Amino acid sequence: MLIDKGYTKVRPLAGGLDGWMDAGYPVEDVA
Amino acid sequence: MTSLVHYVLHYGIPLIFFNVLLEQLGAPVPAVPALIVAGALSRDGKMSSTNVLLAALFASLIADYIWFLLGRRYGYRILRTLCRISLSPDSCVRDTEARFERWGAKSLLIAKFIPGFSTVAPPLAGASGRTSAAFLIYDGIGALLWAGSAVAAGRAFHRAIDRLLAALENLGGWALVIVLCVLALVITVKWAQRVHFLKQLRLARIQPDELMAMLDRGEMPVVLDVRSAGARKHNPHAIPTAIVAQMDDIDSRLSDLAPHQEVVLYCT
Repeated sequence: MLIDKGYTKVRPLAGGLDGWMDAGYPVEDVA
Repeated sequence: MTSLVHYVLHYGIPLIFFNVLLEQLGAPVPAVPALIVAGALSRDGKMSSTNVLLAALFASLIADYIWFLLGRRYGYRILRTLCRISLSPDSCVRDTEARFERWGAKSLLIAKFIPGFSTVAPPLAGASGRTSAAFLIYDGIGALLWAGSAVAAGRAFHRAIDRLLAALENLGGWALVIVLCVLALVITVKWAQRVHFLKQLRLARIQPDELMAMLDRGEMPVVLDVRSAGARKHNPHAIPTAIVAQMDDIDSRLSDLAPHQEVVLYCT
């Protein structure tokens, strides 16, 4: 959908947020 | 009575039961053709449509309730497992989750008619905290609507299906070979679609350490959190600098973004 709107560099994050947290990288709380 | 029809009639109900059970558990064995044939045979008075519908209903409820309980136990992570075993790329698309959130448990009434959504709906219902009673009621009605539609189609086109069965009977043992070849072709096409879809995802995706390195270097890609509201409630954290966006308001959220800018998104 983003590519259709003209964004040329769209990349999904491997593993999503879980993958990011499993790698030990910082997160912030959301309301 | 021809031997093929005799075989189908003798083992028909257990065959329907296991076909529906395996399909709803995630195996690539379409149950609709069997339900249509059963409908045609019931129109000729050779099979009970009530027994066919009951077999399909119970098989569906058993399989779907297993996925519901897995969704309740493991939350949104179960969607990743489903994505791995399902041959339907639609199961992995964020829109199916958004559809469930918009319609709620009532979406179970029509889930089985929508490819991909039928796979995702039961575990999503579990992950989003629906009660077992509500799930079983809506899922049961949905299963009856789905199986009933296929049986009704079989009853409506019973003459054509009778001719098809007679033609298969004339082929003798080759009939089984043809049916197995058609099934293998369906599975191969779905598998190829899935491999292509996952390959595209794999080529495009960015690893967490790559993203972290970009952030450390100050490159500041736009990070989009496009998770559903339910997923965000289940895991109330986000990557620093991430912009929360839903697909229907993404234009307003990205209005200042240049098209060449790098965008990283996560939906689980």
